[in-house]
Amino acid sequence: MTAETIIQSLASGLLMGLLYGLIAVGLALIFGLMDVVNFAHGEFLMLAMYVTFFLFTFFAIDPLLSAPLAAAALFVLGAAVYLLIVRFAMRAKANVGMVQIFATFGLAIVMRGLAQLLFTADYRSVPHSWLGGKTVSVAGIFLPQPQLFGALVAIAAFGGLYFFINRTDFGRALEATREDPGAVALVGIDKNRVFALGWGIGGALVGLAGAIMATFFYIYPDVGASFALIAYVTVALGGFGSVFGAFAGGIVVGLVEATTALVLPPSLKSVGIYAVYLLVVFVRPRGLFGSM
Amino acid sequence: MDKSFTERRRRELLVAASLAVAAALVPLFVKNPNVQNIMILTLMFGALSQSWNILSGYCGQISLGHALYFGLGAYVTTLLFVKFGVLPWFGMIAGGIFCALIAMALGYPCFRLGGHYFAIATIVIAEIGLLLIQNWEWAGAALGIEMPVRGDSWLKFQFARSKLPYFYFALALACVAWFVTWWLEDSKWGYWWRAVKDNPDAAQSLGVVVFDSKMGAAAVSAFLVAVGGSFYAMYVSYIDPGSVMGFQFSLLMALPAVLGGIGTLWGPLLGAVILIPLTELTRSYIGGSGRGVDLIVYGTLIVLIALARPEGLIGLFSRKGATR
Amino acid sequence: MTITRRDLLLGATATAALMPLVARAQTSEVVIGATYPLSGSGAQVGVDAQRAFETAIDIINNDQEFDLPLAKGVGLPGLGGAKIRIVYADTQGDPQKGRAEAERLITQEKVCAILGSYQSAVAVTISQICERYQTPFMSADNSSPSLHRRGLKYYFRASPHDEMFSAGMFDFLDAMKKKGAKANTLALFHEDTIFGTDSANAQTKLANERGYKIVADIKYRANSPSLSAEVQQLKAANADVLMPSSYTTDGILLVKTMAELGYKPNAIVAQAAGFSEKALYDAVGDKLEGAITRGSFSLDLAAKRPMVGKINDLFKAKSGKDLNDNTSRQFMAMIIMADAINRAKSTDGEKIRDALAATEMSGEQTIMPWKRVKFDEMGQNNDADPVLLQYIGGKFVTIFPTQAAVADAVWPMK
Repeated sequence: MTAETIIQSLASGLLMGLLYGLIAVGLALIFGLMDVVNFAHGEFLMLAMYVTFFLFTFFAIDPLLSAPLAAAALFVLGAAVYLLIVRFAMRAKANVGMVQIFATFGLAIVMRGLAQLLFTADYRSVPHSWLGGKTVSVAGIFLPQPQLFGALVAIAAFGGLYFFINRTDFGRALEATREDPGAVALVGIDKNRVFALGWGIGGALVGLAGAIMATFFYIYPDVGASFALIAYVTVALGGFGSVFGAFAGGIVVGLVEATTALVLPPSLKSVGIYAVYLLVVFVRPRGLFGSM
Repeated sequence: MDKSFTERRRRELLVAASLAVAAALVPLFVKNPNVQNIMILTLMFGALSQSWNILSGYCGQISLGHALYFGLGAYVTTLLFVKFGVLPWFGMIAGGIFCALIAMALGYPCFRLGGHYFAIATIVIAEIGLLLIQNWEWAGAALGIEMPVRGDSWLKFQFARSKLPYFYFALALACVAWFVTWWLEDSKWGYWWRAVKDNPDAAQSLGVVVFDSKMGAAAVSAFLVAVGGSFYAMYVSYIDPGSVMGFQFSLLMALPAVLGGIGTLWGPLLGAVILIPLTELTRSYIGGSGRGVDLIVYGTLIVLIALARPEGLIGLFSRKGATR
Repeated sequence: MTITRRDLLLGATATAALMPLVARAQTSEVVIGATYPLSGSGAQVGVDAQRAFETAIDIINNDQEFDLPLAKGVGLPGLGGAKIRIVYADTQGDPQKGRAEAERLITQEKVCAILGSYQSAVAVTISQICERYQTPFMSADNSSPSLHRRGLKYYFRASPHDEMFSAGMFDFLDAMKKKGAKANTLALFHEDTIFGTDSANAQTKLANERGYKIVADIKYRANSPSLSAEVQQLKAANADVLMPSSYTTDGILLVKTMAELGYKPNAIVAQAAGFSEKALYDAVGDKLEGAITRGSFSLDLAAKRPMVGKINDLFKAKSGKDLNDNTSRQFMAMIIMADAINRAKSTDGEKIRDALAATEMSGEQTIMPWKRVKFDEMGQNNDADPVLLQYIGGKFVTIFPTQAAVADAVWPMK
């Protein structure tokens, strides 16, 4: 094992980690807002990838340009899922958590079925794009452009989200609703609108991630499953509800995954991620940055 | 402990006994192997979900990693039989005890975790188990292990065509799981769990005993699920890591209880009775199209039930089952 | 247990609904079952298989001018011109579900034989159930070598298994080495499933026997979100020949990741699967100029045997795709099974089994590059020779064995 291999591993792991963070941050935002874990998150990602694929195939729009469109589409989907499903699931009087998990789990199955019905089970991909297959080489270390761009988008998205939550009126409304959904009604904030917006933003973020993923990943109805578990672990590792935690969690997951593959057979590389998660929560039961 | 309470518990026992007897008579009239298979799976998932419900429903520790115990139970039984010739009847008990110990060992650090952190921890522990077995040559790795089938035998619990022995085993397992739950409801542990649920402050004062009772619940739950896994291994006579330890399986085990009514005595069985035939029939009769319609129907029904009856379908029935 | 009455009803309705079918089956219809993943991650293969079976049934049930068994004339002459009907069942890639579906097909749909099943794990349980019900099962596309070695009487496989495929690959490497090509070190890249494990085991054994050095043996988790670490290890090993055993998804990600990390292998010799799927070449074909894969089928055969091209056209009209490694084998499985039923002159499982065991079909009567179809006592056809195909100029050309080759191998790849 040369120094170059190690540096390359860390670099790849870091880039992939930022992308994991971007995939997971929508989940973290929604959880932070209303304590709901969206089990259809992987299917949101799948849909964003299909949106990107079809815009490319039928209108020759490069994924870079269609990323905002994918984000917009997923914004609508996220808000709709809240208004049509989650809103009702939250009315449960007992075991709200499980009801939400299974309502969104059912939704995930429906989305996979619909994707197979409408888009067929064929494996798709975006064969040529501005970034796809291109790579930057610095001193023998290769940085693929799609992941590099994804990392930049992830950083920008986190910055934007931080600004949005802490510096805008709406962000403050979001924060207030999260603290006390009952009290905000008294000052004229419609709880449902805020939550729907939160789901919309969460969807838009995974929409961005999906558009970038489409430049270097394959697309089929079950593709979300590969990322869903990583996204949950990322969010929990960073601390549920902490947007910054998702960012940090993503980086940790990416780096741990890459380094585990250096010492263990690659088929066991997820074991490294899972072990680190367990270690972290055994020491800090609310993850790295969760409110204690 | 008023009179009506004792009265109700006696009535529950009576209802359960009559249902069990009625169920036992069904295969005498229904000979269709496909329907029998659905009944066996229904009873198996009912029993699994009932066992899951002990830890996750009554005790409030939502586990999404029970596939670990199911898979380990299946593997211990199969490996003991194939490698050492230990009859499945003993292997089943060994698998159960092994899983109960594992559950307590894992419970020790995990019960400190709250809500979703606990749930995710159970998921990743089960995934680690899956990956380790998948890479363990001696245990068959990805190839899995096939039980050699050599004619009908009660000793080896193998039957080529007859499904009746499997049916009665699954029925017995469901009865045991139900009875354990029924018994726990009125035990010391049951009271502690209710006290903690009704009054979180009580948790503080009961801290230590509640922790012990959680460990007990985890052990009982894991034992029963592992026996279910052993049964599955003998019934299907082939196991591989993906099909007995996958994350999907953990969800499938929880689903009947959630749909029927989590933390209730009758919820898991009711959920299984509705869900399993639904799953099997949608796949058998519309899955053949290859267009994903079965998934759409199945998923939509889960969403609808979760939304329309968030407290579980048990709420549709009279007060008797729903309240506790 | 409120299921009681419901199930009684259900059983009654199902039986009632099936009565007319059963009655018809005895007179003018032969029902064959096909168990495939029709939803979930293997669904694409299952859906394509449906088109392949339909193509075969079209040829059998209608009068066609092909030199295939049963093509001429209508239906099965041995059963008074009875037509074949196929019933599909969705296994979702799960052994337990495959088992249940096989049992349902046999007992309710009254199928007289079953074809399947893509995933080898599912074939294990289906073949077991078929054995119990004395119903023949034919693996159309399962390649795990252990399947036919379980002492089953009703198990058949006309196509090669992984050891035969791998032997073909090493025969090719031996021939290349003799010609002076550099092919001494190998890198194995395989998924952690039955398919990947079997393939790697066979390749490791052959490499040791024939004096090749394995410089990297990388087992990865199927459908991983990232293959960067794996590709770096491949790159560091820099073997003469990269031998992937991957399905379409991981194949696409592998090739894309190799390009991104600047790894250009000297040669790729793949264990088919993803590397014979159109979707992979649609995605990354430009990076695979000169890649070699083993296969059980080659469209080049159409030049020598025009019927291959015509049957391909029939299939393409239904599916929009050319016949490939999987669909060609599925097509043949249906033809071989129908031929046996025809000769058995019965839908009785045991008679069909005996007819299958007596099968003797020349290679010319198939669409495959096989010598012939003849099953050994374990139900395996040992005369199904694999071919090696090279992806050149957007299509596959046969490069090995010599009698089937239409071009010389380009080595190293571009």
